[in-house]
Amino acid sequence: MQISYSWLKSLTNIDAPVKQLIEDLTLTGTKVESLTSLGSRLEKIVVGKIILKEKHPNADSLFVCKVDIGEKTIQIVTAATNIYEGAIVPVVLDGGTVAAGDEFKKIKKGKLRGEVSEGMMCSIEELGYTTQEYPEAPDYGIYIFPREVPPGSDSREALGLLDDVIEFEITSNRPDCYSVLGIARETAATYNKKFLVPPVSLKEEADCYINSLISVSIENPELCPRYVARVVTDVKIQPSPLWMRRRLIAGGLRPINNIVDITNYVMLEYGQPMHAFDIDNIFDRKIIVRNARADEIFTTLDGVERALDSTMLVISDPDKTVAIAGVMGGENSKVTENASAILFESASFNGTNIRLTCKKLGLRTDASSKYEKGLDPNLALAAVNRAMELIEQLNCGKVVKGLADCYPNRRETQIVNFSPERINALLGTNISSNDMKNYLALLDIMAEQTDGGRDGGRDGVWSAVIPTFRTDIEREADLAEEIARLYGYDKIPVTLESGSPSVGGRTTKQRLIERVKQAMVTEGYCEILTFPFESPKFQTCDAVRIINPLGDDYSVMRTTMLNSVLNSMALNYSRRNSDVRLFETAKVYLSTGKPGELPQERETLALAAYGKTDFYETKGSIERLFNSLGLDAKFEPCSDITHMHPGRAARILLNDIELGCVGELHPNTSEKYEINERVYYAEIGLPPVFETAKLISVFKPLPKFPAISRDIAMKVKEDITVNIIENTIRERAGKYLESVQLFDVYKGSQIESGYKSVAYSLSFRAPDRTLTDNEASDSMRKILANLETKLQAELRK
Amino acid sequence: MKDKLEAIKRSAAERVKETDSLTALEELRLSLLGKKGELTQILRGMGNLSPEERPAMGRLVNDTRAAVEEMLNNSKKHISDKEQNMRLAHEKLDVTMPGRTKPVGHLHPLSIVINELSELFIGMGYEVAEGPDVETDYYNFEALNIPANHPAKDEQDTFYVEGGLVLRTQTSSVQIRTMEKKKPPIKIIAPGTVFRSDQVDPTHSPVFHQLEGLVVDKGVTMAGLKGSLIMFVKKLFGNETKARFRPHHFPFTEPSAEMDISCFACGGKGCRVCKDSGWIEILGCGMVHPRVLEMGGIDPTIYSGFAFGMGLNRIAMQRYAITDMRLLFEGDTRFLQQF
Repeated sequence: MQISYSWLKSLTNIDAPVKQLIEDLTLTGTKVESLTSLGSRLEKIVVGKIILKEKHPNADSLFVCKVDIGEKTIQIVTAATNIYEGAIVPVVLDGGTVAAGDEFKKIKKGKLRGEVSEGMMCSIEELGYTTQEYPEAPDYGIYIFPREVPPGSDSREALGLLDDVIEFEITSNRPDCYSVLGIARETAATYNKKFLVPPVSLKEEADCYINSLISVSIENPELCPRYVARVVTDVKIQPSPLWMRRRLIAGGLRPINNIVDITNYVMLEYGQPMHAFDIDNIFDRKIIVRNARADEIFTTLDGVERALDSTMLVISDPDKTVAIAGVMGGENSKVTENASAILFESASFNGTNIRLTCKKLGLRTDASSKYEKGLDPNLALAAVNRAMELIEQLNCGKVVKGLADCYPNRRETQIVNFSPERINALLGTNISSNDMKNYLALLDIMAEQTDGGRDGGRDGVWSAVIPTFRTDIEREADLAEEIARLYGYDKIPVTLESGSPSVGGRTTKQRLIERVKQAMVTEGYCEILTFPFESPKFQTCDAVRIINPLGDDYSVMRTTMLNSVLNSMALNYSRRNSDVRLFETAKVYLSTGKPGELPQERETLALAAYGKTDFYETKGSIERLFNSLGLDAKFEPCSDITHMHPGRAARILLNDIELGCVGELHPNTSEKYEINERVYYAEIGLPPVFETAKLISVFKPLPKFPAISRDIAMKVKEDITVNIIENTIRERAGKYLESVQLFDVYKGSQIESGYKSVAYSLSFRAPDRTLTDNEASDSMRKILANLETKLQAELRK
Repeated sequence: MKDKLEAIKRSAAERVKETDSLTALEELRLSLLGKKGELTQILRGMGNLSPEERPAMGRLVNDTRAAVEEMLNNSKKHISDKEQNMRLAHEKLDVTMPGRTKPVGHLHPLSIVINELSELFIGMGYEVAEGPDVETDYYNFEALNIPANHPAKDEQDTFYVEGGLVLRTQTSSVQIRTMEKKKPPIKIIAPGTVFRSDQVDPTHSPVFHQLEGLVVDKGVTMAGLKGSLIMFVKKLFGNETKARFRPHHFPFTEPSAEMDISCFACGGKGCRVCKDSGWIEILGCGMVHPRVLEMGGIDPTIYSGFAFGMGLNRIAMQRYAITDMRLLFEGDTRFLQQF
């Protein structure tokens, strides 16, 4: 919503400097988005009167003029042909600035064919406008003022260019502020003044009554609560006056002609859109507001054929549709120069329906964007009368007596009760009930005390009459806001919260996630954040689908982190970042398959690395992660995950629950992401981890007695995993075996092929005494025997 | 015998002087003071002396022994110092060479901001709550007083999911979930991911992060809301930070406000960061709408509450002077390693 500040000033008699006004309005809730000072880029442009025009002595196509610019007379050389002695023109002086397309250029004094030129006479384009806004300007040539303007005065002022345009951010609860009157009411209230809408008076000079000209009926009052029509005869279509054009331009609208301009002007002023029909195009002079027929084709006045459906509302006569209600009129009823009588429609339509219609048609207009907000039906009458007043003032035609007003369900004012004491309790203030009443009155909300008693506290209960344009006020809290913003949010005291004391904190799960992140950072991984929606081709079939995605590549919620993380890896690889380690803890989304039921959102850790690392380092990071959570995960070889290297991947198990996997990426997969290095990847579902993880580890007493250490080396078949060997060692070791530490695995020339050498360091200890050598040797003998029989291990000496 | 002792002492002094290694010195010690050493031999000869002579001679032998030991010890200290200095000289490093680093990981800047804000609020007595990313229409809209057909529900803003669900457009969805689970006093924050149907560009992203706050109790006032949030921004941005509250509109609060803080780039004088206004919009807030309390099963005639919500991406970007939001989601390590 943008409006001219001079218009606002003339309505409110408030003349604060514009910067101050912006600040003050912002603090009472009408936020200013931007401020544009019109004409401020045009410099040193004065009004000049041509007192002498002569042919240039050295050039046939040039003239030399003497121009009176008030304090003195200057000489200007020009090629313009439309000027004459006595013409009053805008003159840019030496060092001034004029518009040149979207840019501005400086004008300097100079000589033209030997004659001094001390300035330049300007066309309307050089002042930044066109004949559209200034229809009196010639198509080519210098702008000539159509009236007497004193030479030497500021041309910008004479052309109405010196104005500030203020753009407001209007919140969705205040459709009434999409109007100059609404802003004026807020402005006056901000300065503690009551705003009165200027009264409208009509002469109604036409001889006939409206009943004889037109009838109106509404078939769907749900979608059209009110339809008001007035008629103007003896229409004279011409340009509207400068003041009106300037206000339209400031409001972001282009002047067209007096009839269109008046409807647009009232739309700016009252916030009520209006439509004009040529009455001769309305068959049988009957306006019927009804739903469109299914599959109706209608040509709007922009010449586009549009397919309507039966949810849309149209304005029609008994024969045909003449407009899409609240959106755009039809080509078949548009007002032309020859119209003898014009019907002005000022109606109220259901905002939501208008919005949905616009969405379906892909068509939004100035009118529809006003209707979308939901307009007060009581506005329709005031607005059409104002339009008629302007018709009479601008001499555009004769207003027919009376009006057609179809208003099946009148919108009445509402009563909202409030207790000043409760409002003060909510705000933490001590505003007197009388002040509250006065603040509300500034907004046309009339309040009075209705009950002096107990219920509302010492100030009793009050009743407020809510005007129909304030549908946002429904209960006490809404009144509290109105009072608070005029009292001033800045005056509300700043106190500490008074509520019960509380101890903040995170849940165990949240703390565990923090710990997982911290563990990964310690392992040298950088945290990434990726989008949780992805292309369906990377996800399993039970993925949650987005109905209106940004594109197919973002159309399902991920069921695995693989693609997200690998995309980031690929980006790093393509940018030649070396030794990259990334991780993310985020959710994957698993549909339950039942419609309407929330999907399972599973916290997941994914990590990936390339560069100076290998499988065992990656696995080590995960082992330390589990360690930091007081957990001991198991790893089992797996060769059935398609994106993993079949011989270098392990399933991760926690108490027999599968959490995910770790391993080297299958070369086909890394190739897909154009990473020509070995990539290590792990993905771990965290919910089972949350269930068993320990945030606090329990202290184990330090051993009091020494341990006995024995080394053991053996040759076994290559495919026997160290996991099997370790289990075999532990199986017969007895209770004194404390730890089994792998320290060497060797394959190569010393060992026949198909075999490997594996070496362990074992440690034995008794908790309550010093273990003897014999006891350790005893255990060793049993261990060795078991290895020999179970694994055919050959002990190496 | 006395002469003998003198001779031993003299020769010992010379031999000590000639010795230049710890092993040689140990040999010398043994040859003088060891079981078969010269002084030990003399001590053995003491038995041949008369009882009158013994004490004086004994003292003399002991003095000599002490003198020799001292010589040996001094020399040992001297030699070991010398040897250590030689070794140290040998071990000299070029200390101007770069230090060795092990790969260090980094938290994402947004995580850092979320952690820091969470810690601040936890310190002020808030619990951290959460809710699902895929939400029902009820929790994301209806219970927050956003009726059907409200423009905020337009497809151009909201991602709709099969089965009548949405990707939550605001962390405010956690408000109702919390009120349903917990009776007042309620004091929570809910940081989390939210979704809006925006194309990716330097200042927009379809995925971003918010932090929601909700306090419900008896006697919660707008004055208390101001106090809490002013305390928060002073802790986050520094004690000199000024704050102002502007009336605004949110469906789920009434009265509603937006909070601006004095621009941290210019201190409020006006600059490019604050678009010359001196203020930077930081969060939306207000008193919980009575209808929202009712939806959460809380009686608005007994309890009142305030709520606030802020965009975390913008706070992170302002804090670290990041100019392009896309950097947050790319995962370029050269970016991530800066935090």
